[in-house]
Amino acid sequence: MSMTKSQRRHAFSAFRYFVLTIWLLIVAFPIFWMVSTSFKPDREWFAWPPVYISENATLQNYLTVWADVSEYATDETGKLETYTQSLQRPWEALGNSALISVISTTLTVLFGSVLAYGVSRYGILSEGRMFQLLMLRMVPPIVLIAPISIWYSALGLLDSITGLVMLYFLTTLPYAVWMSKSFIDEVPREMEQAAEILGASRMRTIWEVVLPLVRSGLVATFLFILILTWSEYLLALLLSKTEVVTLPVELSKYQGSTEGRVYGRQAALSVGITLPLIVVGLMIRKHLARGFSFGMVRR
Amino acid sequence: MTADATINTTPAPGSKRERTRAQGIRRFKWAVLTPFLALMLFILMPAFVLQGYFSFFAFSIFDAGDNTGFSSYFEASEWVGLDLWADALSDDKFGFAIIRSLLFATGVTVGCFILGFMLALLMYRPFRGQGVYYIFFILPMLTVPIVIAYTGEMILYQNGPLNDILSILTQTRVEAQFLYKQEVALTSIALLEIWNWTPFSFIIMMAGLASLPKEPQEAAQILGANKWRIFWEVQVPLLRPVILLALILRFLESMAEFPKTWGLLQGGPGSATETVPVYIFINAWQFFDISYGAVLSYLILFMMAAIVMSAIWLLRREKKSLDAMYDSKPQEG
Repeated sequence: MSMTKSQRRHAFSAFRYFVLTIWLLIVAFPIFWMVSTSFKPDREWFAWPPVYISENATLQNYLTVWADVSEYATDETGKLETYTQSLQRPWEALGNSALISVISTTLTVLFGSVLAYGVSRYGILSEGRMFQLLMLRMVPPIVLIAPISIWYSALGLLDSITGLVMLYFLTTLPYAVWMSKSFIDEVPREMEQAAEILGASRMRTIWEVVLPLVRSGLVATFLFILILTWSEYLLALLLSKTEVVTLPVELSKYQGSTEGRVYGRQAALSVGITLPLIVVGLMIRKHLARGFSFGMVRR
Repeated sequence: MTADATINTTPAPGSKRERTRAQGIRRFKWAVLTPFLALMLFILMPAFVLQGYFSFFAFSIFDAGDNTGFSSYFEASEWVGLDLWADALSDDKFGFAIIRSLLFATGVTVGCFILGFMLALLMYRPFRGQGVYYIFFILPMLTVPIVIAYTGEMILYQNGPLNDILSILTQTRVEAQFLYKQEVALTSIALLEIWNWTPFSFIIMMAGLASLPKEPQEAAQILGANKWRIFWEVQVPLLRPVILLALILRFLESMAEFPKTWGLLQGGPGSATETVPVYIFINAWQFFDISYGAVLSYLILFMMAAIVMSAIWLLRREKKSLDAMYDSKPQEG
């Protein structure tokens, strides 16, 4: 017995919702668990059966991690409080992360987009060179860590914002060039020609004619690269020791502690690290594919 | 594409105006490229030269003793020629790390791709709720990898929710070890990585499917081809560049995966999660053996450079065919 066309469509629709909802649960669960754990009091972190939504929800984790307000417990958690108090400087880490990612992203997008303009309009880099640029991104950064830290110690750049900014500039530039080029390619050339005929200089043409037209594209590029730098871990772990600690490195200090796991605190910090990225990422969700696809996806 | 790569107001060749124009473009080019090249020259190049030096002169941070200045590194290093290279090439643990990384990257790439492509196929035509699903599905990509590592640990913990859910489903108390058991540790990390990066394959395949021209599919339909044949013989060939892109980028990124493997297990239990990045990191920063780390890094650099260059060659070839296809089509704006 074969189904009619409309029956088949219904069956497919049901199947689609079924599969998509299962995946949605898989995707949402870890995020839910992180948020839920961040509100749990100490005794529920390791409880069996696990607590899904705490009935004793508390802000204590957030207060301890972000506001340094400790509760003075008398049992073994007391030891824990001294540990979290002495080691963690989340606001400083947040400041460092924000500073490093905003500075390096601004520089990258600034140079990347002007370079992309040159490539798009004057072909100042051949297609072969454009692909060579990708090498910077594709070779794993691990092969660099030993020599770069020795070289940085010679230059006095270890544990400095400048040091990280320069490396992030180099490793994200390929994305900036490719992504902003894909936006610039879409701007019709007639406007520039008109400006040129009217005698405007090149910089002025770029600044007053082209940039306004690709503004939203550049914002998307900026936010895209901000996501990459904000969550970078390896270079930050290696080149920042005590002075310049970024948020991901700060988080990993909890894990390295000998005092045992402090899930609630970790979760409270994790939420703080992740939230800005999710907001930013959802703002540019339409452009994410373009950022990753190096001109391979047409629309 | 190439024909209108330069602005059409290009003056006649050989004229004075054209020469100053070409000069202007050259000046513009170098002005933009200089900061980039300067950084390459002063940051990356010296690092690679140093790496070369230390791969022939044995040196560990311990050798420098209390004197930690830069020059002391050179005084404390000692010529060993190709010894370290020979060591590395006969280092079994290094060989296993390479195999482990290749397996890990292959598994993750295939996993992400199958899941991402399947979801994209189910979702690329509009339906009620599409936007909401899309927003949820890209969330893992927007979560910081190190956060995923630690959240993963909370979930995979022996008294954690995953064992609880499995217990409820099987009606027995499940106490599986997902992380601290040699046989499964790397698989668990791979699953976290797949969770993290399936959205990447998903958005690329979504964009690819959305950009497919309609005409070939309609033509195939009129000719009486069924959906299966249209998929394999029309859609998949047209999607080839995008598929290659999704596979290649994912493979390269997972070869370099570090936050989850290191953040959770530091190569353990035993050496079950000692992937290439972890093994290099351990040698250079746990054992402070800069020289051996340098040799390993160089070997991996050569290997990855070969992989990356063939990847780039492939991508370029695909992009050329894509450009050709779109340029031959009349512009629709």
